[in-house]
Amino acid sequence: MTSPAEDVDVAAARPQPRRGVSLRDAGPPIALVVVFLVFAALSSQFRSIENIQNILDAAAVLGVVTCGITFVLMMGSIDLSSPGVMGASALAVALLVQNNRNDNDFGLLGVALAVALGAALGALSGSALVLLKVPSFMTTLGVSAIGLGIATLMFSGVQPNISDEMLGSWATERLIGLSYLTWIAIGCILLGWLIQRYTRLGRYAFAIGGAEEVLSLSGVKVAPYKVAVFTLAGAFYGLGGVMVTSQLGAGLVQAGDGYDFSAITAAVVGGTLLIGGRGGVLHSAVGVLLIVVLTNGLVQIGVSPYWQGGVQGFIVVAAVAAAVIPQRRRNQVVK
Amino acid sequence: MIRISRPAGALLSLGLAAAALAGCSEAATSGGSSDAGACDPADVQLVGQVRNESNPYEASWLDGGDAFAESVDLEQQRLTYDGDSTKQQEQIRQLLAGDTECLVMNVLPNGDADTTPIVEGAEQAGAYLVTQWNKPAELSPLDYDYWISHITYDGVDSGQQIGDALAEAIGGSGGIIALQGVLDTAAAKDRFAGLEASLEANPDMKLLDDQTANFSRDEALAVTKTLLAKHGNDIKGIWAANDDMALGALQALEQAGRAGDVAVVGIDAVPDALTAIENGEMTATVSSDGPWQGGVGLAIGYCVATGELEMEDIADEDRAFYAEQFLINDENVADFATPETDSADFECDNVFNRAVGPLS
Repeated sequence: MTSPAEDVDVAAARPQPRRGVSLRDAGPPIALVVVFLVFAALSSQFRSIENIQNILDAAAVLGVVTCGITFVLMMGSIDLSSPGVMGASALAVALLVQNNRNDNDFGLLGVALAVALGAALGALSGSALVLLKVPSFMTTLGVSAIGLGIATLMFSGVQPNISDEMLGSWATERLIGLSYLTWIAIGCILLGWLIQRYTRLGRYAFAIGGAEEVLSLSGVKVAPYKVAVFTLAGAFYGLGGVMVTSQLGAGLVQAGDGYDFSAITAAVVGGTLLIGGRGGVLHSAVGVLLIVVLTNGLVQIGVSPYWQGGVQGFIVVAAVAAAVIPQRRRNQVVK
Repeated sequence: MIRISRPAGALLSLGLAAAALAGCSEAATSGGSSDAGACDPADVQLVGQVRNESNPYEASWLDGGDAFAESVDLEQQRLTYDGDSTKQQEQIRQLLAGDTECLVMNVLPNGDADTTPIVEGAEQAGAYLVTQWNKPAELSPLDYDYWISHITYDGVDSGQQIGDALAEAIGGSGGIIALQGVLDTAAAKDRFAGLEASLEANPDMKLLDDQTANFSRDEALAVTKTLLAKHGNDIKGIWAANDDMALGALQALEQAGRAGDVAVVGIDAVPDALTAIENGEMTATVSSDGPWQGGVGLAIGYCVATGELEMEDIADEDRAFYAEQFLINDENVADFATPETDSADFECDNVFNRAVGPLS
């Protein structure tokens, strides 16, 4: 019993089918290329091979963390747990591989356990969200505090320094010009993209962000997928914590400091929307590169450190504004 | 449990204190002339408050407090507030809402602005307070009866000391880079001013670049790698405003395959930096001696609370002073490798021995 007028509305709101690469997704990559070219023109050191290796190495950890957070953002939730999860997994891996605190030498198994700890903390966030109905903002903030608490307990006053050759080599050894860490990040992004593109988990994450009610009305049990997405994200943060430990040669409680907001920033700059249902792992990877290129380039062209924070913030806001121009006509409420 | 009657217990602990602090006997017997100094040593409550125990320096601070507390048969209450100003104020309010008569607090305020409410609260409640590192310039303990002293360190001096050590290590000439702390903190500003003073004294040393890495090891790693790519082999030395950043820089040098040919200096003397100096990877650091800070703040409060020190006998320049700091290099690193407190430093006659000058 619908009136003709309503029919027209529904038809008008239906999105156009996507053909090839849409204009909507082109903003961030164009911004990346422009920013890169500007810096390359201004500084010869910036375009040196060594510096480009640097940029990719520096992007590795943020890339992995952002990969995790992207799935949560696609679902329309938010995740602030990365500092705690990364701290806990950093301490865990530092104490499980060869180190100066105990006689453990679990090697890759230690890495796997640290990642599993991250996944467990992620599952905790997800479960609190679906079982206790606490908004993800609060649950993940709480889980971050739990992670930092676990890390502080494991820290117990003495910083564990790793002497494990395998984990140390991740940051120092190179394969075709890129450090192992960078290859791990590339692998993660590829894995993330495959999950997003080809698995039910990835597709439902999109759908939950787009229209959760519709999904549950069509008989899909949403809750397990939400928990699974947070678990997946937690595993990525856990790996991020392991990677920081490899870079710094020590397990730091503060291993994940600031990664929550830089990852969210990178994802949003790349075109993943905070309201969910849009974007993806590859978008976020572009966002990560944009942020890292910016940080690196401002140092390379010699912007005073007193100006850098402000300049960087300005460029990020401008990039996001440019990226959402195509969406403005959708008349979304911005809050 | 052995029960001792109150007067007997008081006598016993007085006796112990007198034995341990023989030099202070005169002050101890003359106590009671004012409300200060009315406390039985056994009734004194000792509280040490720092940001968090996951920071080796602050953890060693609380350990120093424990060492002092043990020496006078008391226990220190260890408080941490995770670098959260609100949480710090909340903890202080809770403490001051309890029994404050013989309360002694040794506090590391989170920032300059956090000191004022702590000082006001302690003054009203009559709790003895020693603060360290942070206070607004215009706030002076001289205007208060219970805020005994403020201890801090001259960042200009420490920045200059490591700057000079760096100059010596690279033979007086060559390019260096500087990793600054959080730019809007006094510590970062003073330490960098010290480097600038050192650069003036060593005109052949050239500052190629200065960047901030926000006191963070992780950020220092990335910034140093970027600067290594920018300046390449011109970099002979790295000046870092704290050891965490120095350690991040060491890691960056290792990843760039330049470990060993660039001198690195820092400040704070965290355990890993001392190890790095022992191994010859790092050149120098400066120690404020965390365990001493944790112990001496409580000792000052304890001495005044028990009457062994009279407030009016404390010289004005000891109410807010710069404490002595120590340059650590490969020659003396072994002495600092295991942080310890010397109980002699905490005797009431000696608590101000390390003052090197009043706050300017």
